[in-house]
Amino acid sequence: MEAKPITLIAERRKGCVTQETYELLGFARAVGNGQMPIVILPGKDVLAAAQEIAEKTGCETIALSGDHLEHYNGLAYAEAIMNFLRCKADGWVCLPHTSMGYDLAPRLAVQLGASCITAVDSAGDGWLRRPVYSGRFKEEIVPQTSRVVATVLPGAFQSPAETTGSGGGVTVIEANEKKLASTTVGVAESLRRDSSLKDAEVIVAGGRGIGRRENVALLEELAAAFPKSALGASRSACDLGWFQHKHQIGVTGQTVSPKLYLACGISGAFQHVSGIRGAQIIMAINTDPHAAIFQSAHYCIREDLVTFIPILIEELNNTGH
Amino acid sequence: MRILVCVKQVIDSSESLTLDERTGELSYPSDSAFRMNRFDEFALEEALLIRERLAGSRVDALSVGPERVSSNLHRALGMGADHAIHILHRAEGYISPFSVASLIAACAGPRSYDLIIAGVMAEDTMACQTGQLIAALLDLPCATSVIKEEVRPERAEALVDREIEGGARERVLLELPAVFSVQPGINTPRYPSFSKVMRAQTYKQEVVKAEDLLVPAPREIRRSIRTPDMAAQGVFVEGSPREKARKLVRILHEKSIL
Repeated sequence: MEAKPITLIAERRKGCVTQETYELLGFARAVGNGQMPIVILPGKDVLAAAQEIAEKTGCETIALSGDHLEHYNGLAYAEAIMNFLRCKADGWVCLPHTSMGYDLAPRLAVQLGASCITAVDSAGDGWLRRPVYSGRFKEEIVPQTSRVVATVLPGAFQSPAETTGSGGGVTVIEANEKKLASTTVGVAESLRRDSSLKDAEVIVAGGRGIGRRENVALLEELAAAFPKSALGASRSACDLGWFQHKHQIGVTGQTVSPKLYLACGISGAFQHVSGIRGAQIIMAINTDPHAAIFQSAHYCIREDLVTFIPILIEELNNTGH
Repeated sequence: MRILVCVKQVIDSSESLTLDERTGELSYPSDSAFRMNRFDEFALEEALLIRERLAGSRVDALSVGPERVSSNLHRALGMGADHAIHILHRAEGYISPFSVASLIAACAGPRSYDLIIAGVMAEDTMACQTGQLIAALLDLPCATSVIKEEVRPERAEALVDREIEGGARERVLLELPAVFSVQPGINTPRYPSFSKVMRAQTYKQEVVKAEDLLVPAPREIRRSIRTPDMAAQGVFVEGSPREKARKLVRILHEKSIL
């Protein structure tokens, strides 16, 4: 396949270039023919961050700058980025599959007449693979258009080692503010955090698969069998009211890095798993042998947690620590 | 307010899905149960809450798919939707988010809704695209992952909070008409009584044939679907439950966690 130009849309969070931005380079390697991508970083006061990207990646980087781009806004970002992309006849546009990426990608695709393939976890020459049914299956999608917009799952691709050669050039483009049908007013940080999760060495976490609220007590008992432990939960288990939201781990919850993560009845969708990547050991208990969590776990236990956890607690207590 | 809610039907349990070696497609037992995508239950509930707040509002529910999808719309009517639109698309197998959104946009465009609401994603395809694609196709502003909304019809605007990474919230002001994709947790979807669902089965549904809608050609095809590489899995601890528990405890000792 001939080498098509690749454009990466970079992202900052709390002022820093995100890890997901650098992982896009790994994706670009998988789909490209070795050509250097161009990186676009939209935002306010982005020059220093753009220089950092250019230096680390060796890619030509565009600081797409404007006061109105301080916070992400779908219409404003699409407007600014399209002014740059419109002149390109074909190629890849890649974004991280984050609250920015999945919000923005479909609009860019429609405006470019491109195919839109989201939440991609691997790729090759002309095809993209993505998990479906909570990761029980993977589908391979082949775009039928010369332009493709893709979002890349965080953690799915490795960011290449920093370049040792010369850094890429940085160009500043001032984006003009236009009156649009949507404006972002501001960003408020989350209030619902449980600091005990940050400090815990062992986290026992429950998902929808624990079946009912009453089984939370079982998880609490299991957590109590470990010193320095805390209770965690998946988003859906919190939404069901089985756990308070302060226990939530994952994309919209907390990111944790305990020594041991015990996932009980958690399906293992990326939204949860991306919050536990720092865990040293992941053990998962699930009745479904195809549960996606078994792809993230180091040790997999196929058991019904209602019967298994009491036995595990007994064995833990027998060791007499 | 005229509100359209997109409600997808999904298989009740993905554990009943198997790969058909002959066709290379997913297949399911003929008696498999289907239900409403959980993410879309939150979307419908939010539409109903807006209708309760704003007198004179009307909620249409829309599903795309084969005949079985009408039971999804019964459920939507049972929850309280005023009208059901079934875009009858008989082909089983892969239909891309772009094709689905094109059908919905073609159907919804001329009806001039003030607000279109969808769930943030579908449990089966997990694409997070439909709402945004509809918005882009109809040239409307859009907010995804909406966790709080305040619709102000008198000013033709809506103020919403998007839930973003780490649980932070981005506040966005949108002109109406607009599209929201809502985040689970925004509300608690009502559970319709059995009698309401039964009565809803007698309500008429509007059927729009997919082939009567003018839509662009598909832009992506699915080459294959398969189970993930088993090599990617961790070690399965085997034995009786007691033996498994003992092995786990031993591993925890070896790794100096106990």
